[in-house]
Amino acid sequence: MVAKMFKNVLTRRSLLGSGAAVAGSAAAAAILPRKAFAQDKVVKIGFLAPLTGPVAAWGKPGLDGCLIWGEWINAAGGINIGGEAHAVEFVAYDNEYDPAKARTGATKLIREDGVKFIMMLGGDTWPGAQPVADRTGMLFSTLLPSDLSPDTTTLIAPCEVHPIYNVTGVEWLADNMPELKTAVMCAQDDALGLPSVATYLAAFEAAGIEMQDDPLLFDPATTDFAPVVTRLISGNPDIVCLDTCYADYVHPICEQLFQQGYGGQVISCTADFYQQIVAKTSEEFMEGFVFQFPDFDDPALNDESINFQMPNEFYAAYASRYGADQWGAVSWEYASIMDLWKAGAEKAGSAEPDAVLAAMKEGGTGLHAFGEADWWGKDLFGIDNALVGNWPIVVIEGGKATIKEFRSIPEWYAKHGELLKKHMSAYGQMWDQRT
Amino acid sequence: MVELLAQTGLNALYAASYTALVAVGLVLIFGVMGVINFAHGELFMLGAYAIVAVYADWNLPYLVAVAVGMAFVGTVGLGMERAFFRPLRDNPLGGLVASIGFLMILQALVSMGFGVRMEHVPPVTQEVIVITERVRLPVFRLAVILAAVVLLAGLWAFLKKTRFGWALRASAQDPEAAALQGISINQTARIAMFIGAALAGVAGALTAPLISVNPHMGHSVIVTAFIVIIVGGIGSLEGAVIVAVAYAFVHTFVTTFFDGVIADIVGLLLLLIVLIVKPTGLFGSTDRA
Repeated sequence: MVAKMFKNVLTRRSLLGSGAAVAGSAAAAAILPRKAFAQDKVVKIGFLAPLTGPVAAWGKPGLDGCLIWGEWINAAGGINIGGEAHAVEFVAYDNEYDPAKARTGATKLIREDGVKFIMMLGGDTWPGAQPVADRTGMLFSTLLPSDLSPDTTTLIAPCEVHPIYNVTGVEWLADNMPELKTAVMCAQDDALGLPSVATYLAAFEAAGIEMQDDPLLFDPATTDFAPVVTRLISGNPDIVCLDTCYADYVHPICEQLFQQGYGGQVISCTADFYQQIVAKTSEEFMEGFVFQFPDFDDPALNDESINFQMPNEFYAAYASRYGADQWGAVSWEYASIMDLWKAGAEKAGSAEPDAVLAAMKEGGTGLHAFGEADWWGKDLFGIDNALVGNWPIVVIEGGKATIKEFRSIPEWYAKHGELLKKHMSAYGQMWDQRT
Repeated sequence: MVELLAQTGLNALYAASYTALVAVGLVLIFGVMGVINFAHGELFMLGAYAIVAVYADWNLPYLVAVAVGMAFVGTVGLGMERAFFRPLRDNPLGGLVASIGFLMILQALVSMGFGVRMEHVPPVTQEVIVITERVRLPVFRLAVILAAVVLLAGLWAFLKKTRFGWALRASAQDPEAAALQGISINQTARIAMFIGAALAGVAGALTAPLISVNPHMGHSVIVTAFIVIIVGGIGSLEGAVIVAVAYAFVHTFVTTFFDGVIADIVGLLLLLIVLIVKPTGLFGSTDRA
């Protein structure tokens, strides 16, 4: 433990709890370009996400991945903007998933650090940053397209179209295991849980899978999941759906499912640090667990349609630096957004937000990490600022996450879009229902 | 339905056990020292991290880790008494503010030492007592229930049968009169703080393998503990135990038969009703311990 504390203090402390200045300095120090760049040829990118607190698992691993991405890009000559090579430097600000801190952080990153692009997790923190985006015209990205609305013209969701991609997992289950006829679902009652509930309800209805009960919502402060699981499996459902529960919930829920003797199918949006779930349950129990986020050492990611640079090597570098068990859903996502931003900046010959945005969206298509994709979303979000294409279905086999297939989100939506809109409306999740 | 009721009852017993440990510790500290210890949830968190360090990282036996956690958190409690609560004895608001500050310090220290992500604690045992196909009691949950019963019974015996226990109760009833009888207020405060903190620590240590261990895990525990001690009557140990059991049963059954959000609303409604009908709490009286 002493060694662990020592290691954490030396390598993580500055990025965990010591605030933006220390975090930004550490990040900058970590990615000083090996190639010599002119002093003024540095483009700064803001990273405004939770690095501490309960939601840190969807921020901090993303920054870790970006640091590797930045090192690689700088070592390879940087970003070519207008014919000149620019080093990339990440400036981090820990918003602790707090809207007020997100607003402060956005202002600081723009005014003091001079960043050209800000990546966020979004969700509860976007309303804090939105006035800053409106005032400055800064280009922001979010992982949660439910932040999008017709008013958010400088906000893009270029990587994760949460929670819409969850439909692909349900569709895959229905096609491959037609004997599964009934499902139940639980979710935390928050901005991440509810749109996901609506999406899963639409996906189950489209697949002809009957919901045994209304989704069971729980308080995000819940620690003991035995009552939730007892209720979930009381009707002996074929499928238990864990919606978009945080890792802090997925782990104890799976452990309870195991201890209470559930032997059916489990599907979840994420299974971050799933090796720990396997350790707490059993390989047999976790066999066939379906979720949506692959490990990047998966050979399927070497397909030429994949637009993430050297995914297997990226995973190896990440695992070597931070530990394979620290790989999470967002470890690659922010880095993949940087791929898009880099391509946009190089195409535009400028790092200015409006020029990069125009270059990114030119032609209405873009290169998503999992293949070519369309700028989409007017139906659901009131604006075509979400980049949507294929998404992987991941299944745990022999204790290891394995990509089974990529499925098209737009194709599903073309067939079942009305269902999705119906359930989104029922849960007040359409853009014109959000306050 | 009978099986569902039985399983829910077992779930509620487990919830009652650790809730009672945390709440009784909080009541003891308030009863003797008159301080609302907002850092009590973080003492629970420290107990869980003792398991992470000693059991998960050092691979020492789980029971050793629980003992270390209990002693360590009790010692932290002693430090809090000496550093914050004793200098601020005549200023209850100051003690409360100090405890809020200290909880943030503890969260930051743990974040720096262990990181912000949840920690993996290997299961102590995966054995399950299968009563029927639908009614199961994991052996580890049973152990937590039994441990809580033993600890609370031990505390009761300590308070009722020993001189230190009498001194604690006397200090809680009337500190000035107790001092006039030669009881050291400082010593009783130390004992109360050590026991109260150790109870929170052992609750965290016992439940660590079953819950998500992270630096912010104390928050939800302290909210529940406050509901319990307010409804039970601030300062009443018996009230804390009885209401912890009752609250755990109500919350667990409402979660199972309705949902967790409604369960929280019901818990807060009970709090409101008790505050309106009997502001001193169901078991509140001048005899605080």
